[in-house]
Amino acid sequence: MIQKIKFLTIAAVIGITAVSCSSDFLDVNPEGLPLEANYYQNEAEAKAGLISVYDMMRKNSGGFENMITMFNAGSDDQLAGGGSSSDGAGIQSFSNYTINTNTIPDSFWSDYYRGIYRANVLLTKLPAVPMDDAVRARFTAETKALRAYYYFNLVRMFKNVPLILTPLGTSEFYGVTQATPEAVYAQIELDLTEAIPDLPGTVTASTDGGRFTKGAAQSVLGKVYLYEGKNALAAAQFQEVNGTPGATNQYGNHLLTNYNDLWVVSNKFNTESILEVSHSSQNSYWGIWGGNADEGNTVNVMAGPRSYVKVDNLAPDLPSGWSFNVFTEDFHTFMQGDPRFDATILDLEALKQAGHADYIGGYQDTGYFLNKFIPRQSDVYSGGGDAVLNYHQNTYAIRLADTYLMEAEALGGTGARAQALLDAVRARVGLAAVPVSLNAIKDERRRELAGEGHRWFDLVRWGDAPTKLASRGFVAGKNEILPIPTRELQGTQLVQNPGYN
Amino acid sequence: MNLKLFSERFRRNLFLFSMFFVFIVSAQAQKKVTGIVSSGGLPLPSANVVVKGTTVQTSTDIDGKFSLNAPSNATKLVVSFIGYATKEVTITDGEMKIELAEEGNNLEEVVINVGYGTQKKSVVTGSISKITAKDLEKVPNGRIETALQGRTSGVTIAMNSGQPGSAATVRVRGITTFDGKGGNNPIWVVDGIIVDSGGIGAINQSDIESLEVLKDAASLAIYGSRSASGVILITTKKGKKGKMTVSYNGFTGTSAPERTLDLLNATEYGALMNERYVNGGGTGDVPYPDLGALGKGTDWQKAIFNNSAKRFSHEISISGGNDVSNFYLSFGSQYQEGIVMTQISQYEKKNFRLNSNHKIKEWLNVGQTIGYTHQKNIGLGNTNSEYGGPLSSAINLDPTTPLVETDPILANGIAYNSPYVIRDGNGNPYGISNVVGQEMTNPLAYAQTRLGQFGWSDDFVGNVFAEIEPIKNLKIKSTLGSKLAYWGAEGFTPMFYLSATVNNTVLNNITRRNNKSFSWNIENTATYSRKYNEHSFSLLIGQGAYKENQIYTETSVTHSGLSTNDYNLASFNDPTVTQAHKLGYTFNGTPHILTSLFTRLTYDFKEKYLFTGTVRRDGSSRFGANKKYGVFPAFSAGWVISKEEFWKQNDYVDNLKLRFGYGVTGNDAIGDFGYLANIDGGRNYTLGDGTSVTPGSSPGRISNPDLQWEETTQTNFGFETKLFRDFNLTFDIYKKKTTGILRENPIPGYVGAEAPPYANIADMNNSGIEIELGYKHKFNDFNFSANANMSTLKNEVTYLGNNVTYFTGDGFQSMGPITRTEVGHAYSNFYGYQTAGVFQNQAEINAYTNSSGGLIQPNAVPGDFRWKDNNGDGTITADDKTFLGSPLPKLTFGFTINMDYKGFDFMAFAQGVSGNKIFQGLRRLDIANANYQTEALGRWNGEGTSNSYPRLTNNDTNGNFSNMSDFYLENGDYLRLKVVQFGYSLPSSVINKVGIQKVRLYVTAENLLTLTKYTGYDPEIGGDVFGIDRGYYPQARSFLFGASLQF
Repeated sequence: MIQKIKFLTIAAVIGITAVSCSSDFLDVNPEGLPLEANYYQNEAEAKAGLISVYDMMRKNSGGFENMITMFNAGSDDQLAGGGSSSDGAGIQSFSNYTINTNTIPDSFWSDYYRGIYRANVLLTKLPAVPMDDAVRARFTAETKALRAYYYFNLVRMFKNVPLILTPLGTSEFYGVTQATPEAVYAQIELDLTEAIPDLPGTVTASTDGGRFTKGAAQSVLGKVYLYEGKNALAAAQFQEVNGTPGATNQYGNHLLTNYNDLWVVSNKFNTESILEVSHSSQNSYWGIWGGNADEGNTVNVMAGPRSYVKVDNLAPDLPSGWSFNVFTEDFHTFMQGDPRFDATILDLEALKQAGHADYIGGYQDTGYFLNKFIPRQSDVYSGGGDAVLNYHQNTYAIRLADTYLMEAEALGGTGARAQALLDAVRARVGLAAVPVSLNAIKDERRRELAGEGHRWFDLVRWGDAPTKLASRGFVAGKNEILPIPTRELQGTQLVQNPGYN
Repeated sequence: MNLKLFSERFRRNLFLFSMFFVFIVSAQAQKKVTGIVSSGGLPLPSANVVVKGTTVQTSTDIDGKFSLNAPSNATKLVVSFIGYATKEVTITDGEMKIELAEEGNNLEEVVINVGYGTQKKSVVTGSISKITAKDLEKVPNGRIETALQGRTSGVTIAMNSGQPGSAATVRVRGITTFDGKGGNNPIWVVDGIIVDSGGIGAINQSDIESLEVLKDAASLAIYGSRSASGVILITTKKGKKGKMTVSYNGFTGTSAPERTLDLLNATEYGALMNERYVNGGGTGDVPYPDLGALGKGTDWQKAIFNNSAKRFSHEISISGGNDVSNFYLSFGSQYQEGIVMTQISQYEKKNFRLNSNHKIKEWLNVGQTIGYTHQKNIGLGNTNSEYGGPLSSAINLDPTTPLVETDPILANGIAYNSPYVIRDGNGNPYGISNVVGQEMTNPLAYAQTRLGQFGWSDDFVGNVFAEIEPIKNLKIKSTLGSKLAYWGAEGFTPMFYLSATVNNTVLNNITRRNNKSFSWNIENTATYSRKYNEHSFSLLIGQGAYKENQIYTETSVTHSGLSTNDYNLASFNDPTVTQAHKLGYTFNGTPHILTSLFTRLTYDFKEKYLFTGTVRRDGSSRFGANKKYGVFPAFSAGWVISKEEFWKQNDYVDNLKLRFGYGVTGNDAIGDFGYLANIDGGRNYTLGDGTSVTPGSSPGRISNPDLQWEETTQTNFGFETKLFRDFNLTFDIYKKKTTGILRENPIPGYVGAEAPPYANIADMNNSGIEIELGYKHKFNDFNFSANANMSTLKNEVTYLGNNVTYFTGDGFQSMGPITRTEVGHAYSNFYGYQTAGVFQNQAEINAYTNSSGGLIQPNAVPGDFRWKDNNGDGTITADDKTFLGSPLPKLTFGFTINMDYKGFDFMAFAQGVSGNKIFQGLRRLDIANANYQTEALGRWNGEGTSNSYPRLTNNDTNGNFSNMSDFYLENGDYLRLKVVQFGYSLPSSVINKVGIQKVRLYVTAENLLTLTKYTGYDPEIGGDVFGIDRGYYPQARSFLFGASLQF
């Protein structure tokens, strides 16, 4: 019996011990998981926060739902293409103007708001971070410039968007309403104006290429003014950036001598680049495609031909792609004789007919591929991940030829300076001068910037979209802006854009 | 250390160790005892007769007679036989007459594991289904989930794939929560150790003594926080006192596909492609001008399917024991080839188990269980995916491409000029399609690129326990369980060229991934059971602590640029691999910790009025400080009416027991740290020349410190009875309400947060009826028994949060989401357009007008679908989409028939579902030239040709094929004859002479027949959402020959 009691005691002790230590027992150390409350304690952490704001710049050309391919597809010069009429409901429906609240990919809206949220968080944290004040000022300026850029893309795509400048509390999620476009533009102007003085004139391309400079912010501000119709203000900003047409500007920018060099993958942050979206091969794979850690350029693979086979050396050495954004017959005709033709269009139909190459025609195949972005075999990444997601060509959000033409447009398409700006763009590719006019500028933009995602916005800004895109199904008064995605309307105070209900 | 060597050594040591337990036996003598053992008046041969407290024993002969010499002081005999209740009888002089009762025939003899204890079935008040070893032994050894399928009511099981060794999706009483983190999987408790559903494959079917499925909350609540989706208790076999028994069971056979699809041959394909081209507005030459030259073309299915895939299983068990110790030891080895591209679809499993129990003192019992399993799985890659893999390729590839290009001109042509083109044994390249691209590749070539890829696992699951009885009726038990798992994968990717799209011509690589996890739990319970006069009660109190993944690591290494392109020669030791081409990563997982206190009181008066009450309190590491603990109460009561005075003994209704139960159970199946506001990395951007990426960080998930348990409240009413003496009927009706379902609370995109907060939102109801009916009768020498069960299920989402009416589910290719979960409807219903026939002519299009006279489908042409304008707004938009049916079966059922006559026995087992829809998505939408099933021959191609299959065109502007619609949905009803077995046992008179107790030979057919109208390979499609067929690896039909021996 004594023995039994002993056992009983031991058992009881074990039991009690196990129970009593249980409150600590449940605490698990979130190993390697920093908490928001303990973060933003030094310059390095502030920098990481800043980079997270920059991260959304990749929307221009990263992921299936990227700005360049989407807005090319909606323009008169290019088609959606792809594998079939259902290859990407968003891009297909934008291309044939059946786009609606369900087919517009959420990410065109929400990705920019994610960038804005990160900017808003950082702007609330930066004042308290123990760090050098000059660095803090630069970080603040970059954050504001990025927030302005993201709002600019939102307002020109959707027009009626909420203006959120501080992180929302959980109780505020559903009370938000849309701001007037004027209010949004005013905030964009304010952010850029405040940012410009604190931004550096130049950055070291090899290490800091891609970060906002004075010139980049001024270009964005000029572009914003242009979209607002504030032409004089726009021209003034552009003049800061452009300097003497054809010469080197105050920040060291000048047009590249050879147009083709703009599309050489290794030619990153060249002197013509004003605001560049940066990509690299970082073992991206399908699981993270289009997400935060995806650093690849997706426009590349999307532009490539399907099942491409090179027959002989008269054909380029290309990997296969997905045949999006093929050019229209009309654009092909328009480009005849232009020195930029070969850099812009790869006529694979002709190469196939001549027996130099073979490929499987995709949806809406015209045979005219977007050569600026078709990857070359030498661009194929051999590291980890999925090769097609690891192309690393940078894309231009704004380049000098663009700001030349925007200034000329802001100047009303008349006058000596407008003429000089237009001439400089043409002279670079060996074309003779033509008399400057709005029409001449429009035609030059169409050729110079073909396939870079600008055309649709240009057509809408000029008011030419209803005529130029009529055959695609464009409805005036409706299709100048995109429908707001369904998810944003569920349970919120947001109102759908006109014509999309 | 070499793994194989290690496992062999390990086994040898364990074997020696086990022998230690075997020989704790002694002997003495002597008086002669004789007798006859019978059941129902018939003699029972081969019954085991042991003199109690000794090792003296014998077996009965063909006439049921026995004779042995017992020690002079012996008083009792223990008589046992498989399938009969063991009986203890006092030794008498002369020929003793011993009658054994069949187990299961008598409701009162069945003992049910209720978790932390057992109860006689007659006094159980919960809804628990039990399956015994006897039910399982005739089913070919496979995964445990398969053995459960169709066996009990209330459980829906569907295989995730026909790939051998693959897991199944198990749902107990419907879908309890919204999934994502496995919250709908029941928990499996193996001899008291919680094993996650992935690890359950390591348990060997033949080692199982019984399986209990706890279904109602009153039974589940004892497992508290993780029990809402059901608990399945597995008890492994123990040695029995008496003679040592050696059993062997093995079978060998082959598998083949049950059916293949009817796909277009080359001529038919060419004709339809021409038609597509013309209908799409193509001009000039059609793609296939000379149809006559095409012939039948390539039958890709024939290339991938194996009609004689091998399969075998061998198991040996040794068990025995005496009054002090008993043991059960088993070894097993299984091998199974897949029916699809067998070269890269194989499974093997080797397992070992040792269970032992020792009565060290009258008041002290100790015991242990340990199971070790090695599995090796060579997997196909994609088993239900439209994105490549042999099945998807075989379905979508054009039949005009040859399997092997033998034409020397074409074989030397540009399509095959890559040095990495895969070739057959004769050096001819495997055909590469020049019309179907994307991920679709020649499956024979594809298989060559996956050689040397396999996954493996080594699992050790075991426990030790000590139980003391310090005072009479009080038992204190302490159990320590642990699971140690190692698993990983090996892979080799050669340089290859399968097509212009799918190739790797830069660097080959070899990869190795190793994972390790260690989990443990400790449970201490005290049970006090007493009977005062007619009052019986039992009080359990217990305490437990559980640490899952105390260790969890993953390490992966990839070496690229090996000097060989042959997987046999590829090695991590390759000296030519440069340091820059050696990449690796590793990470640690986080533990999941629970602590628990629980108590249960069971009480009955005269075994007539029954009551059980349970409370469990759990604390979980997954919740914030505010809400770490949850309490789960339950009670149930029963009334055995047939024991009342007023109940007249009759032959119609006997043993009638009514049961009622109510309780609350929980679920904590979300990721760790869901309640914290953290900073996430990976918000990177490339700055500079692109040689490196600059890391970025920003806030991750929005925090929710009030995150807490999701609760499921369940009410159950049932009865059990015996009808007309031979029928057993169990009936249950339940209603289950899950509230505060753990889910990411969707927030508008403009909030901009990276991930929405986890919150307790959404409510869902499940209700259903379950019936189990058994019949058993003996007609002289002929024994017949049959069991049937069926369950109905109704699922309805009742709340999704304040601002949410629905959310969308799985997508399909470019179609976008094809399912939707909406308040008032079942979880994850198919959602799309409704078709109303095909426009036969322009007049019909013109006649399809809205109220203002405008055409509803102005752009349609004859041959296009007429879409229903469900919202009546006069146009067809996404708002016309509607609910098209549920992938969840409304009805699940199973039937088993057993009969035997003299030495012959026969068993048939069928199972099926009804009332569900399957999305048939076998054809790739975005590949214009993909092949069709022969249904396409019945397409619309002129007025009056078809009203259900639209025209084929390269320019499908009406979205006939690209819209999600009822066109893609088919009835998922099926009835499948899972197992048919015919056996013959050699007469014991013959085999007993050579010292063998049992020899049974049998033939088995598995998946012999499936009755279904479904047009894909297999209507049984598991996965998170049942019933989306993207090119599903079908289950095999196997024919097996086997033998069981016992001596």
